Amino acid sequence: MSDQFDLSVVVPFLNEEQSIRPMYEAVIAAVQPLGRRFEIIFVDDGSSDATLSIARQVAAGDRRLRIISFRRNYGQTPAMAAGIDHARGRVIVTMDGDLQNDPRDIGALLEKIELGYDLVVGWRHNRQDKLISRKIPSVIANRLIGKVTGVAIRDNGCSLKAYRASVIQKLPLYAEMHRFIPAMASIAGPRIAQIKVRHHARSYGQSKYGLSRVYKVLLDLLTIKTLTGFFSRPTLWFSLLGLPFALLGLLLAFSSVFRYSASGFFPIPLAGTALLFIALSVFLFFNGVLGELVYHTGDTRSEDFARMTIAERSGSPRPDPAKESADE
Amino acid sequence: MKSGEQVLDLSGIVVVGHRQDDLGSLAADYRDALRATQQTFELIFVLDGHADEALAILEPLRSDHEQTIRIIRLSRSFGEATALMCGTDQARGKKIVTLPAYYQVDPAGIPSLIRQSTGHDVLIVRREPRRGGQFETLRRRIFHRILGAITGYRFNDLGCNVRVLESKVLTELKLYGDQHRFLPVLARNAGFGVVEVAARQSERDAFRARYRAREYLHRILDIFTIFFLVRFTKKPLRFFGMIGSLTGIAGGLILAVLVFERLFMQQPLADRPALLLSSLLVVLGLQLFSLGLLGELIIFTHARSIREYKIAEIIGSEDSKNREDAA
Repeated sequence: MSDQFDLSVVVPFLNEEQSIRPMYEAVIAAVQPLGRRFEIIFVDDGSSDATLSIARQVAAGDRRLRIISFRRNYGQTPAMAAGIDHARGRVIVTMDGDLQNDPRDIGALLEKIELGYDLVVGWRHNRQDKLISRKIPSVIANRLIGKVTGVAIRDNGCSLKAYRASVIQKLPLYAEMHRFIPAMASIAGPRIAQIKVRHHARSYGQSKYGLSRVYKVLLDLLTIKTLTGFFSRPTLWFSLLGLPFALLGLLLAFSSVFRYSASGFFPIPLAGTALLFIALSVFLFFNGVLGELVYHTGDTRSEDFARMTIAERSGSPRPDPAKESADE
Repeated sequence: MKSGEQVLDLSGIVVVGHRQDDLGSLAADYRDALRATQQTFELIFVLDGHADEALAILEPLRSDHEQTIRIIRLSRSFGEATALMCGTDQARGKKIVTLPAYYQVDPAGIPSLIRQSTGHDVLIVRREPRRGGQFETLRRRIFHRILGAITGYRFNDLGCNVRVLESKVLTELKLYGDQHRFLPVLARNAGFGVVEVAARQSERDAFRARYRAREYLHRILDIFTIFFLVRFTKKPLRFFGMIGSLTGIAGGLILAVLVFERLFMQQPLADRPALLLSSLLVVLGLQLFSLGLLGELIIFTHARSIREYKIAEIIGSEDSKNREDAA
């Protein structure tokens, strides 16, 4: 089924009545010359304006275009997830529906995938957005994500990405995780490339998906760290969290015993604190054990992740693509 | 009977729990009301525990009107929402009309409700004019206002169990426990169209809830649960992390003050009870945080079977399906 097309272009829309037709024309103009069998999937994320009806008109004239419409607004990640779930191409390209990404870059992304990469990330090197509210937070966030996850991507927030369908369709994609796809995918150890892509200033409408609050990104990052870094070893991860507290608790316990033997006066608050910290570390340890149980009964095992990339790799193995991609 | 076969227009489902009025006359009233719609219908009674008396009353009715009245008896009490789901599994109607086992809405108004439900996934009822003391009215209003503020969906009478639903709504929502009360909220959250209309309260809706402390506690927990279900099911760390970081930061601040005083103001640290308080807060915060992480792990490991979004329609899929069939 997924071999029906070479390429699926997935574009989520939210209230983009002016952009949707130009977007369709731009995608067709960019993809048709590539000479591949392709389909386009527009996902309407519960728009309240005429987006859906315009999309309907466009789709009526072109069988290569499919439209998925949501019952209500769910957000960008679910919209992309829906498109990806329903895509039937071997390669899936996602992009924003606001014309800020340029469909002419699809060809370059596709080329990279055909070289053997599993995931190609666009990098908006001359980003046309407001400096203070969008660009600077984005630079900081990307640095941080790279540091914490160990997957250094210059522009995680860029929607223009290309995926090998067999990889992305196995990744769980929910909440606001689209930002972390490269990091999530790193559990599977795929080969990731980055290329520069064009970026245009907004010509129609308002920016819909605003800057996420710092708090959310930080928590998501912590989640990702838990999921990727220690994915198959929750006990270890939670024990590491608890270790400093266990040490601190023991230290305090010794100190209170020492005080008692020195002065005959027992410092109850200090000893209580010691017990609390020790209890915390024990609690964390058993949380890890519980995590082990959850992981064991879940349906996402690391072996599955490993399997899904190996199958695709028999094609054209290349020397250390991670290095190569970092230079671009 | 094979479930899921939708051969009738309407299925009335009455969950018979611990609160019940005279079932004989109630069943007759409901039957007359459904008959007045001039659509094909069935009336399903789900006995959620407390079955013997109810069975004695309903059984004779069933033999009289075999075509329309069916009885499902559960082995024990499972709660109203679960009982409702059992009824839904057996229902053969395209639309489901949930009805309480006591008088809430004047049965004569039911046909008009069913008429008004056309084109909506869920129709809920607001009893109007509503009897009850001023304090009761105030209490109700506060409850619904809080719920509205938290979920973003404003309803006025969630306690009214007369509802008209497309059968797909219930099969998709998979309610359990006490969730039937929040069916409109959950349905709205799943993207269904919900409309609220007014209907006349039954003369016999005489139940006086004794709002004791326990009842209030239940309501508060309900609000808490629904808050979690609507806002955070996919992101438990946001929820636990919020509470955890607040307590953790509070504890950390106190601790910092204590350490500062110890270091620079020669205040002894070891025997101050505030030390115990602050470290307790820090520990509590971290525990909540780690519970959130555990929640994330649960979501992630099951995420492949989670479909967050609900699709209304796929345009352009028909002809592609045909192509697949031809191939």
